[in-house]
Amino acid sequence: MKPNARMSSLLPPLLPLFVSMGVFELAVRFGWVPSYLIPAPSEVFRSLIDDRLELATAAWTTLSSALVGLLLSFTAGTLFAIALSSSDLARRAFYPYAVFFQTVPIIAIAPLLVIWFGFGQPTVIASAAIVSVFPIIASTLLGLKSTEPALIDLFNLYSATAKQMLYMLKIPFALPQIFSGLRIASGLAVVGAIVGEFIGGGGLGSVVDSARTQQRIDRVFAAVLISALLGVVLVGAVNFVSALTLGSWHTSERKSS
Amino acid sequence: MNFLILVALIFSPAIARAAEFGKAVKLQFALNWKAEPEFGGFYAAQLSGYFQKRNLDVEVTEGGAGTPVVQMVANSKVPFGIAAADEVVISQARGTDVTALFAVYQINPQGIMAHPERGFKSIGDVFNSPGTLAIQSGSPHTLFLQSQFRGYKVTFVPYAGGVATFLTDPNYSQQCFVTSEPLIARKKGKPAQSFLIADAGFKPYGTVVITRRQYVENNQKQTRDLIDAVREGWVEYLRAPEPANNLMVKLNPAMDGDTMKEAAEVQKPFILGADAPANELGKMTIERWRKLVDQLYDIKLIKTKPAADKLFRIF
Amino acid sequence: MNSNLHPGQSKSGAAVLCEEISRAFAGTGLVLDHISFQIQPGEFVALLGPSGSGKSSLLRLTAGLDRADEGRLAIDARQGAVSRGFVFQEPTLIPWRNVLRNTTLPLELQGWKIDRAKPRAEEELRRVRLADFAVRYPHELSGGMKMRTSVARALITRPNLLLLDEPFAALDEPTRHALQQQLREIWSALGMTVLFVTHSISEAVFLADRVIVLSQRPARIILDSAINLPTARAEALRTSLNYVEEIRRILAVIPNPAANT
Repeated sequence: MKPNARMSSLLPPLLPLFVSMGVFELAVRFGWVPSYLIPAPSEVFRSLIDDRLELATAAWTTLSSALVGLLLSFTAGTLFAIALSSSDLARRAFYPYAVFFQTVPIIAIAPLLVIWFGFGQPTVIASAAIVSVFPIIASTLLGLKSTEPALIDLFNLYSATAKQMLYMLKIPFALPQIFSGLRIASGLAVVGAIVGEFIGGGGLGSVVDSARTQQRIDRVFAAVLISALLGVVLVGAVNFVSALTLGSWHTSERKSS
Repeated sequence: MNFLILVALIFSPAIARAAEFGKAVKLQFALNWKAEPEFGGFYAAQLSGYFQKRNLDVEVTEGGAGTPVVQMVANSKVPFGIAAADEVVISQARGTDVTALFAVYQINPQGIMAHPERGFKSIGDVFNSPGTLAIQSGSPHTLFLQSQFRGYKVTFVPYAGGVATFLTDPNYSQQCFVTSEPLIARKKGKPAQSFLIADAGFKPYGTVVITRRQYVENNQKQTRDLIDAVREGWVEYLRAPEPANNLMVKLNPAMDGDTMKEAAEVQKPFILGADAPANELGKMTIERWRKLVDQLYDIKLIKTKPAADKLFRIF
Repeated sequence: MNSNLHPGQSKSGAAVLCEEISRAFAGTGLVLDHISFQIQPGEFVALLGPSGSGKSSLLRLTAGLDRADEGRLAIDARQGAVSRGFVFQEPTLIPWRNVLRNTTLPLELQGWKIDRAKPRAEEELRRVRLADFAVRYPHELSGGMKMRTSVARALITRPNLLLLDEPFAALDEPTRHALQQQLREIWSALGMTVLFVTHSISEAVFLADRVIVLSQRPARIILDSAINLPTARAEALRTSLNYVEEIRRILAVIPNPAANT
């Protein structure tokens, strides 16, 4: 990208950020806004730097839990969706349960998770997986159902087996949808991990919990910032894999290049 | 006609004040947890009319996990609230001008409870043995204990309130109010052994009434009246807790009447103390506040030491 | 899938035998009304009709992608081998496969190994003059090139019945004319039976030896006639008198001229 082009794509999102940070900084310094409501950006940065080691370790713990949870939910969700897609009866029987489990608030069942999985990472991973599984099921199902009918005709013309239909046509055709669901799921996996950490301990969740107890709002903001970054990292990873896999043929990839 | 106007003008200030004098002052009093014997004296003051007779219409509101009472008081959302003594110190160190007026507990009932089968003899044993300890991370008592028992072997897990996990896991210990959770656990079939954190050297006052320092300046008489009423309420609650307990049972279904009765009895020695005989309930000394400031500074919870006389007022 | 197809049993020796075929769809009603015709092996037959007349439905029935409600449809299928090729209205290429792998797909579905299928695919691509584009992807091709890939794919199983559903309708005129030429040459070279669906009279006349005209829905056959034109169809034919005469003859039987150029 030419230097000017890069500038014109970075400047619009960064400008409001700098302006609002400047406004908040002044607001807190001059006492217009009390510092226990919103910390000055400079305090948040100082907290980021002072506690960088602790935040980095905590971030790594949360990221690894979210990643494992995401992998689990991806595997289970994709298999479940494939199973549902091959039988209309199965889909009508089981899909409503998937919807139901999605609506159960994770913060309410997290204490149950501790009883089943114990304190520490197992609970955190379970929480991340539960929160992130539904978008994967929904978008994988949608992708499998939206195969171009003419292509299905083509495969039927040559008497393709159900297995051939699935592996050579339906799944590759559904990949853009699957990655779309994975993008949403990865952000949710981070949220699920942090909620799990509130109850199960460890990672950024415990940093937030501890900072909240000490009324260190600047530390809370610093930890929240890092966790948002984790979400960005995960989505970026999904985009990378998506670009690699879908490569040149998918129109949405082509449009963005 | 002129005569009447004259009379009205002369007496109008008095008339105005008389009208005001008739109305009781509405005040909100924010607790930081649900209604429990820990707050019995406040409800007793309300029920026995100690606020009303001083022309105060006090509304006591319950709190819960995470209720930001200090912020509410500091922002003038409520004039009076309940907080922990360390919260007062930390707030002052950060420039928030809140101050303590009355301490319910001379001896802080914060403690650690464990299963008796573990055979612990002190908090040190809990820390130096394997197992899990649920403790509020980042709390002053947590940081204090962690710095006292540096080579700890126990695994810290988040403290979620209640005794659910304690009942099911024999290797699980947790923080508690020694007047509350151990009683609940025993009622549910799992008697607990509890240790006072005060015995390990951390002795902040427990459950203090707070307000803004500016509010006290502007409303000295009202504050004095309120604290007098509170003191009378606590004397009454120590004498006869049943009326207040009956009210609190209705407000807080998590505790039943028998447990409340027992808790009210068990907490008596914590409320009375050498510094505070019955007619001086709630009084505080500057030495203890100074000690608390030093301890909080040592565990790095505060970066500057606020002046101890800002932290509390005697009424 | 083809319950009323009996392999190798078209009694009259015809490549396609259609007897009293009827088909109705929910919502649209009766589409095909007792259609009967026979196609001899090696014939190039155009199925002409207005849009929505059911000619695509008839083609799908012949392909085995659908089942008739009434009647009997038999095609001469070699025992155990699929010998139908189908060229859809849209190129219907698989976007993540290149031209070569799109062409080998029918053989892969029959269990052929890639290495064995590749030379066959290259042969067909040469036939449609796309050999240089074997490694390109569909999104890099023009409309005409995609259609030629589709034809190559249809030919790779060496079908003896080639079915085409208005394949050139979406292309521009020069490309359309060029592909019509190429199709006729391929037919000349390979000699399979061709059933070509179109709504264009001029296309039907240019390409076919015989034209079957369908009416509007519910479709019946209103004309089944041979085309009186030389076997070799050159571009010059398009402006000849005989060609125009044949078009006029077809036009005469069609109640509402729904056909275009």
